Order: sequence, then C-alpha cells, then structure tokens
Amino acid sequence: MKDSPILSVCSVDIGFERGEPLIEDVNLELKSGEIVGIIGRSGIGKTTLLRTIAGLVPALSGELKYMGSESSQVTKGEIGLIPQRLGLVQHQTVGYNVLMGALPQANFFQSIFSLPSTQMRESTRRAVASVGLTDKMFTSVNQLSGGQQRRVAIARAMVQNPKLILADECLGELDIQTARDMIELIRSLAENGSTILIVEHNPVRARTFCDRVLQLRGRKLISLVDDIEESSELYLIGGANQ
Amino acid sequence: MSESPHFLQILVQRPILRSSLLLAIIAILSIYHLDISLIGLGDMFSNLLIITNDAWPPDFSVLSDRASWAYPPCNLETDWMCSPAVLGMTQTLEIAFLATIFGTILSLPLAAASATNISPPLLAQSMRQLLAALRVLPSLIWALIFVILVGVGPLAGVLAMTMYTVGYLGKLQYESLEGVSREPLEVARTMGLPRWQVARYFAIPEAANSLISQMLFMFEYNVRHGSVVGLVGAGGIGWYMQYYLEPFKLYDRVLALIIVMYFVVIIIDQISLRVRIRFIDENELVRKSKWRGLIIPQLDSSDD
Repeated sequence: MKDSPILSVCSVDIGFERGEPLIEDVNLELKSGEIVGIIGRSGIGKTTLLRTIAGLVPALSGELKYMGSESSQVTKGEIGLIPQRLGLVQHQTVGYNVLMGALPQANFFQSIFSLPSTQMRESTRRAVASVGLTDKMFTSVNQLSGGQQRRVAIARAMVQNPKLILADECLGELDIQTARDMIELIRSLAENGSTILIVEHNPVRARTFCDRVLQLRGRKLISLVDDIEESSELYLIGGANQ
Repeated sequence: MSESPHFLQILVQRPILRSSLLLAIIAILSIYHLDISLIGLGDMFSNLLIITNDAWPPDFSVLSDRASWAYPPCNLETDWMCSPAVLGMTQTLEIAFLATIFGTILSLPLAAASATNISPPLLAQSMRQLLAALRVLPSLIWALIFVILVGVGPLAGVLAMTMYTVGYLGKLQYESLEGVSREPLEVARTMGLPRWQVARYFAIPEAANSLISQMLFMFEYNVRHGSVVGLVGAGGIGWYMQYYLEPFKLYDRVLALIIVMYFVVIIIDQISLRVRIRFIDENELVRKSKWRGLIIPQLDSSDD
C-alpha cells in the first residue's frame, strides 16, 4: 500500500508569474498513508508550495502528478486542504462545515436541492463525534475556540476522506494538550489511508509525528536528517532563521 | 502689478484654492453652455405660489373616500380600504416587495458569475457589463418600456423595478462576494468542486449577512422609487397621483398622498434599518449567523 506514489513532483519551480521563483527544482514523492512534514522560516514559501500542490497556484515549470495523472484529471474530492486559517464558513454551524467535506460525493440532484444522503449525514455525525464536538453540532463555528475550530477542519477532512491532505500549520498556537489531540487526529487520518503533507513551524514537534521531515532552505526543499537533536538545533539556531 | 504675482503665488501654494477655482470655472461654463437664465427662476417662484395656494391645506379625503376608478378594481366593503392612499401605498409596497424578491433571485447567480474570485475573468467581465447595462436605464425609463410592452398596470411596475433591482443589487452583491475570505473558496476548489458549488455552499453563505442587508436596503429603495414608476402608468401610489394631476390638477389631494407616502417610507426605513443592523453590526464580539435556514435549511437540519 505504501509503495504506490500518491503525489510525485518532478523538477518543479514554484512562485508567482512575475518575479523569481520562490522555490526551485522541487522533487518530491509521497506514498500512501505517509505523514510528511515541511519546515522552514516564515515567508520562505511553505504555503505557496502547498497551494501549488493543491493546484491553486500554477507551477512555473516541471511536472506534478497525482496517482500518475495530471492535476486536471484528479477525481473530485481526492485532495483535501486545511489552510492556516482553516477555511471554515464562519457564519455556519459545525454540522454544516463538516458536511461540506461530503459535497464531492453528492450527485447533481442532491447538491442543487441541498439534500444530503443518509450516508453523508451519518459520516458527518461520526466525524463530529470522533473529534468530540457532538454537543456543538448546531453551534456557529465563529463561537468556538481556536482548538475546536481546528477539530472542525479535521472532521471535514475525515468526511471527505481524500487520498491526499495538505495541511498548513494547523498545529500553530495550540497548547500542548490540544496539539497532542490534534496530532492523534492527524494520525487517525493517515491510518484511514490518507497521505498527509503538513507544514509545521516547529521541527521538534514535526519529528514526533511525521514519517519524514523536509526543510525549505534557501530556495531548495531538502530532506532533513533523521536526528531529533540536530532538528532541534536547526530550529533553535539555524532552521528558524534561514 | 505687484498684486498679481502675489495672488498667483497664493494660488500655487494652496491646492484647495486651485481646485475651487477650477470647479467654479467648470460650473460657469456649464451654466453658459446650458443657456440657463434667471428668468426661469422667477417663473418657478410664481408657479410655486399658485401650486401652494391650490395644494394647501391637503385634502385627506384620499384616506377615506372610495376610489371607484381604482385599477385593479377594489371589491372590499370598507371605503377607507379602497381609498386612493391605502390602495396606492399597498400597491407600491407590493410592487417593491415582488421586485426585490424577483430581483434578488435573478441577481444572485449573475453576481456570483461576476465575482472574479469565483468566475473566470472573461465570464466575470461579461456579466459585469450586463449588470452595468441594466443599471444604465433608471427605473422610470424601464417603467416606460414595460408600459409599452405589457400595458398600464402594476405588472409593468414589477417588471421595471425588477430590472433595475437586478442591475443595482447585482453590483452590490458581487462586491460582497469578492470580499469574502479566500480560504474557504480554496478549500472548495482543492476538493475539485465546480464553480457553482463553490459559490452556493462557500461564498454565498460566507457573505450572507451582507447579502441580506443589501436586499433589505433594496426593498427600502424600491418603496421610494415605486412611487415614481406609477407616474408613467406602472401602478402604485404614483399612478393615483398622476390621476389627480392630469387633467384635474387636484394638488391638495396629491399633497395628501405625498404626506401619506412620506410617513410610510419613514416607517419602512426605520424598520429596515433596525433589521439591517442585526446583520451588519461588526462590533459584536461574535457575529451570529442570522440567516441560517433561509437559504439552505435542509443541510442545517441534517444532523439532529
């Protein structure tokens, strides 16, 4: 299962049309069920890298393939995104936001008349329960704490059940216990077969739950050494400043 | 000779003087070009005196006497309920209500297609041109067109106000949709959802409070302008005013109708303002979802 590549990125330059590339010659291959972390200092292009892989920003050059296909041929719902500010519909309930993850499964009739199937409702209910927010089902997400909102975003990804989840610093500014809970949820997504590419600003934490950690340094994406001490040092003296 | 450079020096140093001088020159040139003479102002005052004498005191029998000539005919027993003021104002409110509802239904998809964060640039530009074209004609001209097309009566009023509502509300709506946070739309795009689903399930719910506030504002606007379209035969209180103006010149009754309309418009404005504040108050610590259940009720009730 872990051998078939979910995502392969070959010699891709990343950036915006005007100006120099932010990141050059990115080569990356993600296997099914892997959790891969990306670290690097602020403003180096981690989010742009994630948005390029999501297909939101075109790659300047090179080739991006999802399960061997071009990005235009990806089946609906196979890639999920958890942005830095989570991308929740602020004036809607927890239930609504989680149900949005099931929208790619809805047929035309269901989506035009807003009639979710029993299966979609059931998977929403299960996902909300698994992140411990059953009592908040009908609460607007803008009334939740930051940690609870992150759990809603995770539940939405659970319902969507994509092959690839791109998460942008979804553990930032959380207390230790909440971050631990979130890591458990991320692990459970991977155990269900999703591959996770996560941007994480803390390399020490990244090492604790990621199968691999990559670092953006200069304009290159490099594979980080498997040494937690060195990672820690990088964070404290080098990684965070480069 | 010595004053001239001094004046120019002041002019150069003070931009407000330069701008004022420029505006004054343009205003004088415009008056000259339009051939406006003060003799017209003299006529205005003498005519105003005649009309005031005829109009004062207002004849409030328009609130009590049955209008047997009303269109559409009034079959109610009570006379005051079939009076020109009650019938006219009721028709104006109904025309405004229908035009706001139909206008909103038509403008929302056009607004979504005009928003550059939802639609491809070419489609967005085309739809914006369409909305701009609808706004070019004021509601009065739309009323004239529809009176010719469908005949005298409230239908022409509803159609005219609807057309104007689509153009005007559509612009407000696409500006609101373009202002929504980028991230929910990116989540939807990454899922691979088609653009109409991105608009329906992410952009419109995110902008819903503004959209509802704009709809209420449009209703207020339509009530005010609903009286104007009646003047060309498109129904509402304006039609009753026109009946008294031509050929009878019963200015006292027209004044009574204007006073009634004034008070109704004030009441509608106040109610609408109070309701809109509930949607637009940014000072609330947590802005609650006021619109839930109005647009997508089925999704909300899915999890009980």
